[in-house]
Amino acid sequence: MTHFKPAPAVGIGYRSAIGDWTRDNLAHFDLLEITVDHCMSSGDSVASAIFDLVGRIPLTAHGIGLSIGTDVPLDLAYLDKVAAVVERLQAPAYSEHLAFTRAPGRDLANLLPLPRTEAVAEAIIAKVRIVQSRISVPFLLENISYLFEWPESDLTDAEFLNLICRETGAGLLLDVENLYLNAHNHGFDPCAFLDDVPAGIVKEVHVAGGVAVRKDFLARPFLADSHSHPVPDAALDLLDRVLTRHAPDTVVLERDDRLHEFGEILDDVRRIRSRIAALSEGPYDNSLVGAADQSA
Amino acid sequence: MTIRLLERQINLLEYLTSVGAIFGDDANRPLKQGLQGIDQASLRLEACFSHEKRMEKIVATLPRTFQLLKDDRPGIVREFVEACPSVDIRRIENARQFHGFMCTRWQAHPPEPPYLRDVASCELAIASVRIRDKAQTSQPAISGQGARFRRHPDAVLLRCAYDIRPLFERGVDTDDVAERRDVTLAIAVPSRSDQPAIFELSPPVFALLEELSSWTDRAGLGSQAELDELMVDLAKHGLLEVGS
Repeated sequence: MTHFKPAPAVGIGYRSAIGDWTRDNLAHFDLLEITVDHCMSSGDSVASAIFDLVGRIPLTAHGIGLSIGTDVPLDLAYLDKVAAVVERLQAPAYSEHLAFTRAPGRDLANLLPLPRTEAVAEAIIAKVRIVQSRISVPFLLENISYLFEWPESDLTDAEFLNLICRETGAGLLLDVENLYLNAHNHGFDPCAFLDDVPAGIVKEVHVAGGVAVRKDFLARPFLADSHSHPVPDAALDLLDRVLTRHAPDTVVLERDDRLHEFGEILDDVRRIRSRIAALSEGPYDNSLVGAADQSA
Repeated sequence: MTIRLLERQINLLEYLTSVGAIFGDDANRPLKQGLQGIDQASLRLEACFSHEKRMEKIVATLPRTFQLLKDDRPGIVREFVEACPSVDIRRIENARQFHGFMCTRWQAHPPEPPYLRDVASCELAIASVRIRDKAQTSQPAISGQGARFRRHPDAVLLRCAYDIRPLFERGVDTDDVAERRDVTLAIAVPSRSDQPAIFELSPPVFALLEELSSWTDRAGLGSQAELDELMVDLAKHGLLEVGS
C-alpha cells in the first residue's frame, strides 16, 4: 500500500529588512521560517512585525544563538526565552545548528564545526536532551558548512549526525547548500552523505546560493555559504535526491544578502516548487500544497 | 596531555579574532596548543569571513560615521580589531564596542572631521532607541493631581558641539559641514511611530528632561499652565512618560 504525504511546504527565511515585501507577497509562500533570536533581541518593532504573522501563514522556528557545541553547560535562560518564542509562533519544530559560535570571552557569531568524535557526540547528545526537555516541539539539528576540520575527527558528517539523532530522536534540518559546499570544499561525495542518512530523518530542508571565494592564500577557490545568490542547479539536483528518500515538511530558501533582488528570490521559490512537482509521480501528493491564508 | 575541548575552542576563537589571522600578519606563526593540524589557510579564511560579517553589522549601525572616516578607515578598523575582539553576536553590541573604542581613541587623536564624535554618538543613540522594547505605560490626564512624570526610559539625551542634524536629514554625501554650535538633542520614538526621530530641545527643556530621571510628582514641578502643555507635547514625542 502506498502512503501519500503532503508535498513539503515551500517558503523563505523571514528577514525584517524585507519584511514589508514579504508581507505583501505571502501568497508566494506556504510558510516562513522565523529566526527566534530576531524576536528576542532586535527590538519591539521587529518582534511585533513577526508575531503579527501568526495566523496569517505557518511559521517555523530556527535559532542561531544556542551554540550547542561550546563545551560549557547550555544557557538555560536563553532556552526558556526560545521556548516562549516558539510557543508564541505556534511553530511545529525548533531547529539549531550542530556547531559552536562562542567560547568564554569571545563570540565569533559565525558557525564553527566540532570535532566529529564519539566523545563530542555524547556531550551533544546530553545537551540535545536538555533542549528537548525545555522546548515543547520537536528539535532538529542542522548540518553547517565548514571551512576547516579538526584533525581528530574520525566520524564522517553523516555518522556524526546519525549518532546524535539516533540517540536523541532529534530530526535533521538538512541544509542542501551546506552539503553541496562541503562536498566541493572538502572533496567528498554528497550523494554518499545522503545515502548514509537514514530514510525519514530529514524533517526540514534549507537551500541557498553562495559565491566562490578566491584569496591569494588559498590553493583553490572555496565556495562560501553567503546566502546571496540564486540556488545553483547542482544544489537543486541534491534536493531531488533528498526528496526521493525523505519526506521533509518544509523546504526553506535562505537569503541574507542582495535581499532586494526580489525577482531572484521568487524565481528560486518557483524552481524549488518545480523540482517538487517533478517528483509528484513519486511519494508526494502535491494537491495538498496550499497558498498562505491572506484573509487575516 | 589531553587538552579539554573548551580550552581548544577558546584558543581557536582567540586566533580567529586576532589581527594576525584576519590580516594575515603572522600567517606562518605556529598555532596554539590544541589547534595543531588544522589547515591554517582555512582558518585565515574563516577569520576573514567572521571579521567581514562583524564589520558589516557595525557599518550598518553607524553608516555615516564610517563614511566620515574616509581614508582613516582601514587603519582604525585594524586598531579596533586589535583592541576589541568580538564578544557578542548582536549588531548593537558590536556597534557599542566600536563607539567605545573611538571615544577612547579620540582622547589621544581628536576626531576628524571634528563633528565625527557627535555623529557617531547620535547614530548609536538611534540604533539603541530602535531596538528597545517599548514600555507599556498608561497615559493618564496630565493635569490630574496624582500625575507623575519621568523621562521616557527609551529616550536618549545628547549634548553636541555641532549641529549634526542636517547630516542625518540629507546624508553625508553633500558638501555640507556641520555648523559649530552647542546643540541639545533628544532621540526617541514618537508615540505614533515605530521609528526613532531626532529632536532639538531648548536648553531649559533639555535640563528638565535630565532632571526627570525618576518619577516626579506634577505638583513638584510648579503651577504654570504652560507646563501641562509642554508635558503633553513631550509625551507625544516619546520623551516623557506619564504615570499616576
